[in-house]
Amino acid sequence: MVADQRSMVQEVLAPPAISGRHLVKNYGPHRALAGVDIDVRRGEAVAIVGPSGSGKSTLLHVLAGIVPADAGEVCLAGSRIDELSEARRSELRRSEFGFVFQQGMLVDELTAEENVALPMLLGGTSRAEAMQAARYWLDRLGLAGRHRSMPGELSGGQAQRVAIARALAHRPTVVFADEPTGQLDSRTGAEIMDVLLEICAETNAAILVVTHDQELASRATRSIRIRDGRIESAVLTA
Amino acid sequence: MNALSIAFRVLRVDRRTRTSAFLTAVGVAVATSLVLLLLGLPYAVDAREERVAWQNKAEQTLVDQRQDAPALIKISTDRFGDQEIGRLDVALTGKGRLDLPPGVTRLPGPGESLVSPALAELIDKQPASSLGERFGKVVGYIGSAGLRHDDQLFALVGQRVEDMGEDALPISDFTTSAYYTDYDLELLAGVGLVVLLVPSLVLVASAARLTATRRERRLAAFRLAGATPQQVMAMVVAELAIPTVVGVVLGAAVNPLVRMWASEVPWDGSEWHPSDLAAPTELVVGAVVCLPLLVIGAAVFGLRRVVITPLGAMQRTPTKPLSWLRVLALPAALAVFVVAAQLGAGNMVVLGALATLIGSATVVGPWVTAAVGRFLVKAWRGPAGLLAGRRLHTDPKAAYRASSGVVLAVFVGAMALTLLPTLESTDFGPPEPTFAPSTLRLNATADQADKVVERIDDRLTRYGQQERAVRLDNAVVNDANGAPYPAYIGDCKEAAPLFGLSPQVCLDQPAVYGVGGTPVSLDAEYDQSTFPLPKGVATADLPRPVVLVDRELVPEGFKATASLVAVATSDTDTDLIRTAMVAGSAGAEVFSDVDMVASGTDRLDELRRITAIGIVIAGLLAGCSAAIATAGAVMDRRRTFGALIAAGTQVPVLARTLRVEAALPAIIATVGAGVTGTIVGVVLVSLIENAPAVVLTPWLLAPVVVGVIVAVLAGSVCGPALRRVRQEPLSDE
Ligand SMILES: Nc1ncnc2c1ncn2[C@@H]1O[C@H](COP(=O)(O)OP(=O)(O)OP(=O)(O)O)[C@@H](O)[C@H]1O
Ligand SMILES: [Mg+2]
Repeated sequence: MVADQRSMVQEVLAPPAISGRHLVKNYGPHRALAGVDIDVRRGEAVAIVGPSGSGKSTLLHVLAGIVPADAGEVCLAGSRIDELSEARRSELRRSEFGFVFQQGMLVDELTAEENVALPMLLGGTSRAEAMQAARYWLDRLGLAGRHRSMPGELSGGQAQRVAIARALAHRPTVVFADEPTGQLDSRTGAEIMDVLLEICAETNAAILVVTHDQELASRATRSIRIRDGRIESAVLTA
Repeated sequence: MNALSIAFRVLRVDRRTRTSAFLTAVGVAVATSLVLLLLGLPYAVDAREERVAWQNKAEQTLVDQRQDAPALIKISTDRFGDQEIGRLDVALTGKGRLDLPPGVTRLPGPGESLVSPALAELIDKQPASSLGERFGKVVGYIGSAGLRHDDQLFALVGQRVEDMGEDALPISDFTTSAYYTDYDLELLAGVGLVVLLVPSLVLVASAARLTATRRERRLAAFRLAGATPQQVMAMVVAELAIPTVVGVVLGAAVNPLVRMWASEVPWDGSEWHPSDLAAPTELVVGAVVCLPLLVIGAAVFGLRRVVITPLGAMQRTPTKPLSWLRVLALPAALAVFVVAAQLGAGNMVVLGALATLIGSATVVGPWVTAAVGRFLVKAWRGPAGLLAGRRLHTDPKAAYRASSGVVLAVFVGAMALTLLPTLESTDFGPPEPTFAPSTLRLNATADQADKVVERIDDRLTRYGQQERAVRLDNAVVNDANGAPYPAYIGDCKEAAPLFGLSPQVCLDQPAVYGVGGTPVSLDAEYDQSTFPLPKGVATADLPRPVVLVDRELVPEGFKATASLVAVATSDTDTDLIRTAMVAGSAGAEVFSDVDMVASGTDRLDELRRITAIGIVIAGLLAGCSAAIATAGAVMDRRRTFGALIAAGTQVPVLARTLRVEAALPAIIATVGAGVTGTIVGVVLVSLIENAPAVVLTPWLLAPVVVGVIVAVLAGSVCGPALRRVRQEPLSDE
């Protein structure tokens, strides 16, 4: 009981897993982000909603360090990461972040398990270890029978599960998902979202998920609405 | 909007289409210039030989009566160091009229000569006794219209009629036309056409494929929007016609440059005039019209899927595993080759059989590719092996197609390089050398022989040489059983050094050497009145296959008709002694066994050089196609790679992986093709009756070099292509 309380206190006091301060990003004269502040704690799932072109993807990319911000700060567990070298940042992306995109972006010629293992292999993990991890995560995502399937033989939802397995296999602390269910029907979309949230809760990862779907957004811990590069409102959903 | 204006618009807007069009144009240009060059080859020898017909013994028009001829000529090949010098000695009889040969403005009088500019330069650089004195006074030059090529060493030497000897040719005129077909070169041009055209077309195909995914999508959109198959086809044709026409025009335009470069590659002992290599106009026009049709036809064939079903390109069908029966194609083709060879190997037969072998490669190749893929998929250790294996495994036919150019070139090249030395070494020089390799000899009539010996010795004395000319007469010795032996008459102690023997091998008394049985009589020629040899004549054997009769034994009344004048040389004074012999004999052909081997080696070297050049060109073309295909493969998977990079995979790591992914199949293809080609070559050699052992020369490494070039070229584009991927926004497409 005491230990439990202590850990809760620690969690509240600990710095957010990922946070952005006064983030500004311009594309030429166009202002894609106009001073955004955001904090996401471990175990928390934040949905980002907003009209097309409002800056949702840009926010994700700036937080992940894929695109540099023009102004503002990005912190990972309290330490600035926007000032790190590109090499250090991509190392962080490899070890601390996981990414799920709108379409699976799987390599057509590789089997499901090989697709999941690929980033680990590129990172220097041995074949045996990478393949074992890949199979574990595919099983976790309900793809036990489809380890050897080619992406062309998978349904859209299955392919997206493979992509999620790939994003989670190295146990990231922050998961970025940009419209992971955009191509799926609403039932499958909800299923995918549930799996994603469930596993993130289990691994105590922070998750930022961009979606157009209000229903899906309501499954997150809270949702943030963006318009014209600004946070319009933040709603606590759970 | 018509098809052509759509094509131009696409070209203007889409950068990748522009790149693809540019590469297609380059590929077509290369193919065009190669085809034009190869089409010109069979005619090149004709053009060159026509120019130098007057230098050629076989071409001359002779008159029956020696005394009616306006001129007597003697044609020979001389040597200086390791260079050949052509030589024509001419003596004007004062009868009738003689037209001048091409490139010659006047004929030299006795003691004078006209030389080619290159020879004049060489003469100027040497002491007169090494070279200049062979030709007398140089009074003018031979222009390039009368030379095989501008660097040819040739002399037209004036002589007196009485010095010309019995073997001089009485000519009515210098010939100016040649009817000459070089079957070797025709065969080479034919093989070259196949071996180089295929990689050129693969290059064009891979350039065109660079935009295939995008084009297929665009065409599918047109089809879905209601365009008829004909309209879509017209768009494809228009889109390809632009770069193809540009490429053909470009290729034809650079042809003179290509000819200039190719004219430096020797064939039949000499380089060319660039104009020799020009193909006849009809063929040029034919090629320029046919090539675009071929290219566009191939592209339309490749896109027919899209045209037939708009969705076809998007769907992937699982590939059927290829039957192992395909492997049998190679032994089957080999059997065809063997049967063809047994039936008598005309050029067409060899070409046909070669085509069968090449054809079998396209059957076996994909199966081997799939097998290699299967192996890699099982055995990979890193991501590169995994990616490469999966690519080969998923679509082995496409993967093989991409490397078919280099496979073909390396296969044919390795086979040729294995076969060449073996075939050529079968007819090198005399089988068992009689003379020491460096002994210089010339043929003379028996009447003139003594005079020639005297003049040569005079010169040798003047040059301060120790060597002396030795006269040997041709004769036939008959033994007790009536068996004739070709023999030389000479003095054993004098003659021994000519055969590379010490005079101590000679008996102290006159003897007949080298006849197995009992020598009984001597003839000047076969089947002539026989002169008996003394009874109980001494006999001995020499450690050389030669029959020698001591001059003292020659019966009374015997008269030789043909003689040989020979000088034993050490390697250092060859040129001086040649000068003495050529000048002393008024331009007789001086030869040695070293020369014979040397000229045999020349042809072999030429063939090897051309084979190696062919492989390298094919390899470069294949490398370019592989590079383009690799860039295409990266671009096609850009979204995946973009995502991987976004997720933190370092670009250098990914680039290295993709480099290996691209290089692995190229290396496997080259090594595989090289080994198979060598094995096929060895098998073929073993089928040749009493062929010598296979000579594995360093030339066999040429295919490996090509493989490395291809692999490096193919891999080198991964880095830049990936950087392009990274610059593109993630959400593209
Ligand atoms: N690479 C870029 N170059 C120029 N402008 C860009 C670029 N990326 C995004 N933008 C602009 O920035 C704004 C925000 O883009 P962003 O992709 O973040 O929108 P989004 O909210 O993700 O939209 P959607 O829901 O359609 O994906 C848009 O107006 C877009 O045009
Ligand atoms: Mg977006």
